[in-house]
Amino acid sequence: MQHSSMTRNFSMIPVLAVLGLVTLPLVVMYAFLVIDSFSNAPATSLIPSEFTLEHWRFLYDFSLVGNVWIATKNSLILAFTMVVTTLVLSSTGGYAMSRLNLPFRRFFLASVLVMHAFPAVTLLIGTFLVLNFTGLYNSMIGVILVKGTLMLPFGIWIMKGFYDAVPWEIEMAGVQDGASRFTVWRRLVLPQVKPGLVALGVFAFLDGWGEYLLPRILAPGADFEVLSVFLQDAAIPDAADYNFNIFKSVGIFYTLPVLILFVVFQNRLMNIFGGGTKG
Amino acid sequence: MNMRALTDGAREGTAIAVPSTPVPPAVTLPPRRRGKPRGKPRVSLLGLAMLAPSLLLLCAFFFAPAIFTGVFAFTNMSTSTGIGKGDWMVTPVLLRQLRDAGLSEADEQAISAATYVVDAEHVARAEAGGVDARFLSDIESRLAGETYDNARDFERDLRDLPSKPRSARALKGAADHFASSVLNRRYATEAAFAAALSTVAPGLAPETLSLVTERAYTGAVFTVENFVTLATRRDTLRIVGNTFLYVGLTLGFNVAIGLFLALSTFYLPKRVGSVFSALWLLPRITPVVLYATLWQWFTWENGFIYILADTLGLPTYNYMKAGVTSAWTIMILSNGFVGASFGMILFSGALRAIPVQQLWASEVDGASRLQQIRRIILPQLRWPVLFVTAYQTLSLLSSYELIWLTTDGGPGTTTTVWALDAFKTALWAYSGEFKYGLGAAMALILVVVGLTLSIAYLILFKFDDLVSRPKIEF
Repeated sequence: MQHSSMTRNFSMIPVLAVLGLVTLPLVVMYAFLVIDSFSNAPATSLIPSEFTLEHWRFLYDFSLVGNVWIATKNSLILAFTMVVTTLVLSSTGGYAMSRLNLPFRRFFLASVLVMHAFPAVTLLIGTFLVLNFTGLYNSMIGVILVKGTLMLPFGIWIMKGFYDAVPWEIEMAGVQDGASRFTVWRRLVLPQVKPGLVALGVFAFLDGWGEYLLPRILAPGADFEVLSVFLQDAAIPDAADYNFNIFKSVGIFYTLPVLILFVVFQNRLMNIFGGGTKG
Repeated sequence: MNMRALTDGAREGTAIAVPSTPVPPAVTLPPRRRGKPRGKPRVSLLGLAMLAPSLLLLCAFFFAPAIFTGVFAFTNMSTSTGIGKGDWMVTPVLLRQLRDAGLSEADEQAISAATYVVDAEHVARAEAGGVDARFLSDIESRLAGETYDNARDFERDLRDLPSKPRSARALKGAADHFASSVLNRRYATEAAFAAALSTVAPGLAPETLSLVTERAYTGAVFTVENFVTLATRRDTLRIVGNTFLYVGLTLGFNVAIGLFLALSTFYLPKRVGSVFSALWLLPRITPVVLYATLWQWFTWENGFIYILADTLGLPTYNYMKAGVTSAWTIMILSNGFVGASFGMILFSGALRAIPVQQLWASEVDGASRLQQIRRIILPQLRWPVLFVTAYQTLSLLSSYELIWLTTDGGPGTTTTVWALDAFKTALWAYSGEFKYGLGAAMALILVVVGLTLSIAYLILFKFDDLVSRPKIEF
């Protein structure tokens, strides 16, 4: 990086000190997340006194917090359906928006952008009513449809950006060789936007995996308990025998896939986080 | 999704056009000129087919909820009215309310009176209710067409029948089947209710009849009461104040810390900088439930700060739930730690885009880092800062998930913001009474603000630059 070659006319130590101080709460929270899940500490102390694996019993002892594997299966279903719907709909819709001639194209594009900027969470009450009227309330399908739809403006906009960057000459060549626009899209253009598809797919997975509000509100029935809801139910500190350490182990179990995906796809995801969805 | 349908649509749409239309090479295309369209290009059917599923979903689960929010904001829908269509029913409670509203005692008694009618309909009802067939045929042959306005007379006549049941209870039960009363009976339509009411109480004045009919409806009705409630209730001002304070403070934190992070990681050696970047990304990628509970552990009884304060002899309490100042601090920090990384990412990108020669030149001229930041970097970060401010104002205004999971708007309502209040009014009330209409009214205000702001941002951030027309037009 360029700045290493700059003169040192400014000491970095105060900056590092402030930076360290601001970051400290984060370091403490995440360090103890890991430490506490593998150790026990005396009641009023932070320093662990022994190493233990007992907080991971929840993996096979379902009497502790319930069956974690059913929740995992439900979360996987939600996350993978999100990946599939988002990829299919965004890759087709984004291409139409980017390259094809549509009536009211400007209007569509403006709507997609407005919907992307618009805080969809304010529509939850309306969504709840729509699901009640259509009979999709308290069903997995309902959650998937709603979550998938809310993801669409973002997905279409991102994919449009990737399609916009594909050189026109590729399509021109294909079309002049007599291929249909659909073939050109599938055979020539789609491979060009593979990085975008991978990033969007990972993002959709993470988004579906982390979702809490929609399953909790729109499908409160126990049949479809995802990991986030499972974790929240396990984390009610008012309960008499509440154990933060077991909760932290469940939390690590829940977050591990996220961390792995993030480390593997870090660079690709960074582009997308720039248009982030969380405040 | 049905890929076959797409393929068919594609062939249909393009087969005619492709071979015959010469496509000009991209390089020779003139730049698009505003106001001078190049003829009317043909609509791409493939494009419509590719977009249709998305449009369908967006209509069903994006527009429809928005419209529903607008419509139901003007109703009194709640758990007591139910979500579907309502019925018409007079209950003793309603009668008491009507009495208070000026219904005369005679009318009240007329409405609540039961009459006994022996006709085909009631005989059928008694038969379905399991009344002895012989007794029933006696009733039908001897008392058909009779009407009684009290139970005593009817039961006396029944007792005179030869095949009467032996027990008095069975006789009373049989008599009940012939009672016709509007009390506690549900009518599916207004007409059926009005007809039943005028049969039971024929002497009702028309305006009394229509008043009772209107009040007897159990479903949701259209009203502007929600907005009156919002404008007049005491909490509104406080919650609006909370919302502005929360958005302002969190935004300030996000932008300031985001800038600080971006600048310091920019100047730090790369390896050190990336460690800090990664640490600050953790809250963003951690699922919200886990992140919220990390804050709980950090600030609750027997949590990190609690034990630390205990060791140091400082006051200990549940910082998240028991203190107003500490709850506010936690609310802003927990949201700010998520939001700061958004600023960090965007500002870092913008920093890297600044021509490094400018920085070198200033170093040669002897500028310190602070001067460099003030004179060169910050002026060039104006647009990213504006963008982050704009984007996060909107998302902070409407976000409540993390507040809900941490302070839950407490202690009391001290950290309740508008979006959280709307959500809890409609969907998460502890009383169990969900006021969908009132919640929708609160959400509608957010929807209007959100829509206005997002359209304003589009104009501000030059929508036209983002939309150019396709270059291949068949």
